[in-house]
Amino acid sequence: MIHRILIANRGEIAVRVIRTCRRLGIETVLAASEADLDSLPARLADAVICLGGPRSPDSYLKVAAVIAAAKMGKADAIHPGYGFLSENRDLALASAAAGIIFIGPTEAQLDAVGDKLKARGHAVAAGLPVVPGGQAATLDEAQDLARSIGWPVLVKAVGGGGGRGMKLVEEPDRLVETLELAVAEAAAAFGDPRVYLERYVASGRHVEVQLLGDGHEVVHLGDRDCSIQRRYQKLVEEAPAPNLADGLRAEMHRAAVAFGRHLGYRGLGTVEFLVDCQRNSFYFLEMNARIQVEHPVTEAICGLDLVAEQIAVAEGRRLAMTQEQIRFSGHAIECRINAEDWTRDFRPSPGTVTVAEFPSGPGIRVDTHMQAGARVPPHYDSLLAKLIVHGTDRAAAIERMGKALALCRIDGVATNTAMHAGLMRAGPFLAGGVDTAYFPKFLSEGASHG
Amino acid sequence: MAEVKILDASIRDGNQSLWGATGLSTRQILEIAPVMNRVGFHALDFTSSTAMGVAVRTFREDPWERIRLARAAMPDTRLQLIGTGLRFISWESQHPDFMQLVYDRLVANGVTRFMVLEPTHDMPQALASARMIRKAGGEEIVGALTYTISAVHDDDFYADLAAQFAASPDIDRLYVKDPSGLLLPERARTLIPAIKARIGAMPLELHSHCTIGLAPLTYTIAAELGIEVMHVCCGPLANGSSLPNAVRLVANLRELGHRVDIDDRALARVADYFTRLAKAEGLPAGVPQDYDASFLRHQIAGGIMTTTRRQLAEVKLEHRFDEVVAEIGRVRAELGHPIMVTPFPQIVVSQALYNVIGTERYSNVADQTIRYVLGRFGRPTKPIDPDILDRILSRPRARELMNEGEPMSLADMRKRFAKGISDDEFLLRATMPAEEVDAMLAARPPRRHYNPDLRPVLKLLDELNKRPAVSDLIVEKPDFHLQLRA
Amino acid sequence: MNLTNDDVQEILHLLDASSSNEFHLHTERFKLALRRAGDGLWAQSTEILSPPKLAGSVSEAPLAPLPAAAASTAPTLAVDSLMDVRAPLVGHFYRAPKPGAPPFVEPGSRVEETTVVAIIETMKLMNSVYAGVAGRVVEIFPENGQFVEQDAVLMRVDPEPPQ
Repeated sequence: MIHRILIANRGEIAVRVIRTCRRLGIETVLAASEADLDSLPARLADAVICLGGPRSPDSYLKVAAVIAAAKMGKADAIHPGYGFLSENRDLALASAAAGIIFIGPTEAQLDAVGDKLKARGHAVAAGLPVVPGGQAATLDEAQDLARSIGWPVLVKAVGGGGGRGMKLVEEPDRLVETLELAVAEAAAAFGDPRVYLERYVASGRHVEVQLLGDGHEVVHLGDRDCSIQRRYQKLVEEAPAPNLADGLRAEMHRAAVAFGRHLGYRGLGTVEFLVDCQRNSFYFLEMNARIQVEHPVTEAICGLDLVAEQIAVAEGRRLAMTQEQIRFSGHAIECRINAEDWTRDFRPSPGTVTVAEFPSGPGIRVDTHMQAGARVPPHYDSLLAKLIVHGTDRAAAIERMGKALALCRIDGVATNTAMHAGLMRAGPFLAGGVDTAYFPKFLSEGASHG
Repeated sequence: MAEVKILDASIRDGNQSLWGATGLSTRQILEIAPVMNRVGFHALDFTSSTAMGVAVRTFREDPWERIRLARAAMPDTRLQLIGTGLRFISWESQHPDFMQLVYDRLVANGVTRFMVLEPTHDMPQALASARMIRKAGGEEIVGALTYTISAVHDDDFYADLAAQFAASPDIDRLYVKDPSGLLLPERARTLIPAIKARIGAMPLELHSHCTIGLAPLTYTIAAELGIEVMHVCCGPLANGSSLPNAVRLVANLRELGHRVDIDDRALARVADYFTRLAKAEGLPAGVPQDYDASFLRHQIAGGIMTTTRRQLAEVKLEHRFDEVVAEIGRVRAELGHPIMVTPFPQIVVSQALYNVIGTERYSNVADQTIRYVLGRFGRPTKPIDPDILDRILSRPRARELMNEGEPMSLADMRKRFAKGISDDEFLLRATMPAEEVDAMLAARPPRRHYNPDLRPVLKLLDELNKRPAVSDLIVEKPDFHLQLRA
Repeated sequence: MNLTNDDVQEILHLLDASSSNEFHLHTERFKLALRRAGDGLWAQSTEILSPPKLAGSVSEAPLAPLPAAAASTAPTLAVDSLMDVRAPLVGHFYRAPKPGAPPFVEPGSRVEETTVVAIIETMKLMNSVYAGVAGRVVEIFPENGQFVEQDAVLMRVDPEPPQ
């Protein structure tokens, strides 16, 4: 049984994990960088241990420091949150070696899905459709492969993921230079120079399926649509994905569960699919072997506490529910409130928050690490708060989100709240089912600037 | 040096002893349940037939749902029911098939440990109950050796009973049950070894109340005598007429070199929670009791009564007036404060007399008293003390008087209610007034969150809502500033 | 009192039916403000005030001092060459031998290794805090009388090079 968890993360997800731990009577030790020692999660945790300097490589990305903090704090488990070391095999291995439970999948599963090529291979083995593509050993092979895939192609880093390490090649004569650049960047950013090619699906929706496994059984907790993205960073997510043919939805659920079963997956994980609107088909993209930022919309429609489920599985418990017992109700939307000036090319806006006021009421949930006086350090991502609303149906949820956004007030830094408000009024969004090409159009139309 | 486990009885026995069994609702239990699960208790004394009735009647809560939710929140800690033979919630004696269904449903909803209790030590009945519980799937069945002081109840008596229990395949462990807190340490030094000598490797537990301050001391020496599990309560639910305090007992056991493998921090949190809850709800805290040597003799709590000296003189018992007066007060309270008009004075006084003259209180109970508690004379002013009710109705004579003939068969009973209702609902409808069950079913599902510290704020807001003209208010206390504005 | 989202929902449930439009609750641990916004919605602002409980550091750089209880001042970053003077045990930090007396040291004071620079009072016992190094006091962090944890950084001293 887990009595004390070291939370090796920061910001809103650290607050989120602490909240569940408090309810379950589990002690929390926050591993924080120097820049976060007086943050909201630091004030909520039972104890705080300093990991190191403000820059992530000196703190949140240092496996040895996290393990040392877990030992110093006498934690019996580590919750890695998302990002940072949440899918890092070294952390999983070092935890096991130190006799500390890593709240996440097994190291082998991290390897299986962390390497994007291996993940593709597993997907194929599990019978999932994958985007046409593959790896090439020589430039000639690459040319042949690209020709057979069809232009444009995406060059993807094997060690990448989460929207990073991807380059679009529209013209065949740009392939060689893009490949060389991609290989160099991949080596620098991920420590793995390998790249592979994939067909570029021009009009696609990003739909993902939430999985929960205990190492023996796997269930799905529904799907989410995350097509509203800027440079592969999600801004708005909703559950369930709107305007999907029932057969297609069921197929994706089935495929995701098959993938999870194939891996004998343990913990929370999300299978990402690319839905090809024109062909009404879907492809496996990747699997994220961690809790995700947008997990609250799933919680809103299925009524589970996903962090509690993670902890239960990490304690070695079997799933407490069967697929048939999982019920979905209503519709949920999440807007990511970031500290950025969306009217100036999304320039990040660190600083100190002077006022933090959020909406409260039925069907409204706010996950944040902001309060008056909180600092937004320049070293990390710009996520200030997640505004999540639930409604009986999508229209009700959108209306509620509009009202909720109007009550979101954060002074002291620039935010993208007005952008979200515009989205909630935009025709295509209201109609539902926009693809990943929509958001750039929305921005360039400038419909909701000012 | 022994390894000792503790069993927490805060939710049921502590609640019943100190808070009239109405102290805790589903949400108040669920709030602390995850923390309780982490302590490492051997089990929780979680519910009883009486407690299930209270849930419906007082809180309009589904007792089956309460068990299910608690089980889900405490997957590692056994939930226990303390049984009462052939009764379930109501005073009627039920058909064995009905009781089998009760046990089946209890197990299905998440109760895995059962206490088999027959204070009259009617062994055939006790073992029959144990058999039913085993058939239902009860995992840990514990036979009760109910302790009292009398010429009959010596060490051999209990050792023989224990041997009979131990011979049954449906009994897994035994416990010495001392509801009045009479067990002296020096008696324990002979009683417990005498029992253990006859039960082989079967585990033996101890459950003794703090009524005259003995239990904390008796428990401390019990570890070296081979008691494996000690029943305790947390925070304000300990002491008084309840069980010893968990934190204090653990410290004492460790002081003597014994091992208690629990999460101390979680245990402290549980105690702190009940303390804050008691404060928020105005519930009393159990207080360590003074030793009262006379209690071992008459076992009568204090109480004064003024009206029956003449009646006593008529029966030549004037010289024992003080005793009887004291006893009358107690009996009257236990029997629900009946108005003292015929026939109630006779019932109370005769019972007080029986209690004073007899070997043990309620060892003799007049038929009229039994009929009274069966409700044949109408409803008492206040509810009858649940412990006394249990004791009176466990008597064989009570069973006789209860039954105008045999208890109805299960099939016949089902016919009395709508088809298609669940077994859980049927069992409640069969034993409780329809309005109470209807009201429970109509009530909305229980909340799962409860913050005792917030109660004052919520009560204040609730009060203010009754005074719509008031929209501005300031409340200022140390470390508390509350302001409302229009 | 600790405050959870469920608590706020319970408060709102009652506030909805009230004639008040603003609610403020302030304790040592938190501040909660609720403002009726119409349509069944409220605007909420919460501030958690309880200070972080710093239990240690795994990095070589000296730990920044605890922030003051009710403020969210940023801890100063350690500079490698300065030496920390740490609290030998938990208790109340006092800058002078007794109330009204001049403080032991000020920023700029020169100290020897054995100079007493402060007192930590624990359960009515006074414990001297020694500079531990010869040099000049650069910064003093806690307020006079402030409660400090064991090992909290009390002062930084710029060490003299060894003679």
